[in-house]
Amino acid sequence: MKAREILSISIVGLGLIIAAVPENTTHPYKLTPSQLLEEVKGRNQFFSPDELAEKLVNKDPSVQLIDVRDQDEFEKFSLPGAINIPLIDLLNEKWTEVLDQDLKANIFYSNGSVEANEAWMITRQLGYNNLFVLEGGLNYWIETIMSPQKPASTSPNEELARYDFRQAAGSALGGGGAVQLAAPADQGAVVKPGLTKKPGKKKASGGC
Amino acid sequence: MGPLVVNELISENTNLLLGFIIGIGFGFVLESSGFSSSRKLAGVFYGYDTVVLKVFFTAAITAMLGMLFLSLFGWLDLNLVYVNPTYLTSAIIGGIVMGAGFIIGGFCPGTSFAGASIGKIDAMVFIGGLFIGVIIFSEGYPLWDDLYTSAFKGSPKISESLGLSDGMAALLVILAAIGMFYVAEWAEKKFPREEY
Repeated sequence: MKAREILSISIVGLGLIIAAVPENTTHPYKLTPSQLLEEVKGRNQFFSPDELAEKLVNKDPSVQLIDVRDQDEFEKFSLPGAINIPLIDLLNEKWTEVLDQDLKANIFYSNGSVEANEAWMITRQLGYNNLFVLEGGLNYWIETIMSPQKPASTSPNEELARYDFRQAAGSALGGGGAVQLAAPADQGAVVKPGLTKKPGKKKASGGC
Repeated sequence: MGPLVVNELISENTNLLLGFIIGIGFGFVLESSGFSSSRKLAGVFYGYDTVVLKVFFTAAITAMLGMLFLSLFGWLDLNLVYVNPTYLTSAIIGGIVMGAGFIIGGFCPGTSFAGASIGKIDAMVFIGGLFIGVIIFSEGYPLWDDLYTSAFKGSPKISESLGLSDGMAALLVILAAIGMFYVAEWAEKKFPREEY
């Protein structure tokens, strides 16, 4: 038998094998449990309400808020520009494009921080990057930004400055003293930032 | 595990270094198999020498099989492998221009550099033409921007368009390639040339 025939037969044989075996659809997790534990210990995933308020006031386009509560709650009240991805719907393929990207900081929030943290854990396990959690969730947000407590007049200057900032940010973001959970309409329509397509991982140089 | 760069197992610079080494090997093989002769490449179109077709198709199916088996063993995540997006119009027009260039010039970009490296003047002239083409294309880009980006198809795969599994599509490509090799060898007997 000639070499070319042996080669042809073996290539066809390999082709038959690859056609017969099931496709490997398992995606190796990017994070080992110990790596994840390190991230959790560092608490780096938390975005404080003050940081977020500053970004929202500045209309920073690099931030994407993701509301992981269910749709009813989302419609009653949500943060400006947030999109709704209920926790139970997190793995739906239509959200992959939003969650798996390298351009924006995705910030999960829920009423407390438990659900948002769960969403963060799951998506981190999938190997997605740029994911954060709003520290303390909406409850803490309302407490600090929407209705900040005036510190005592003897407080240090930083605390007074922070109070001023929170008050200003709160009123800019539709709060301001009394919080009206039932009336989010005064914020106007929720702006949904356009999705940006994930850039290709690397350039291929083709041709011969 | 793979791809190595995307998973940050090696750095971008290491990747370039590996590319450099593989590139030298590629060029060496091109030259030593006689691809630096313009007659060899033109031979594909006249049917007297189809080595180029056979070599490149063998390379394609070898790489395809290799990637599918690596993916099967969990060593390569095919979802992370970059696939060039398809712009149908520019693919067709580019194919015609490049094919015509093959026959007229007798080189493809890779073999022209292999030819120039052993001092072939026609290969150097070909490279000159290549750069003129690059300059015309990039300086005149606004003129053909619309044409270039029309009929965008994303990054389709044969398997997806036919609704087959990747492995099944691979088997079809292999069978098609082997069929093509037979036709190519038949053509070599049909249109022989004594000396070229």
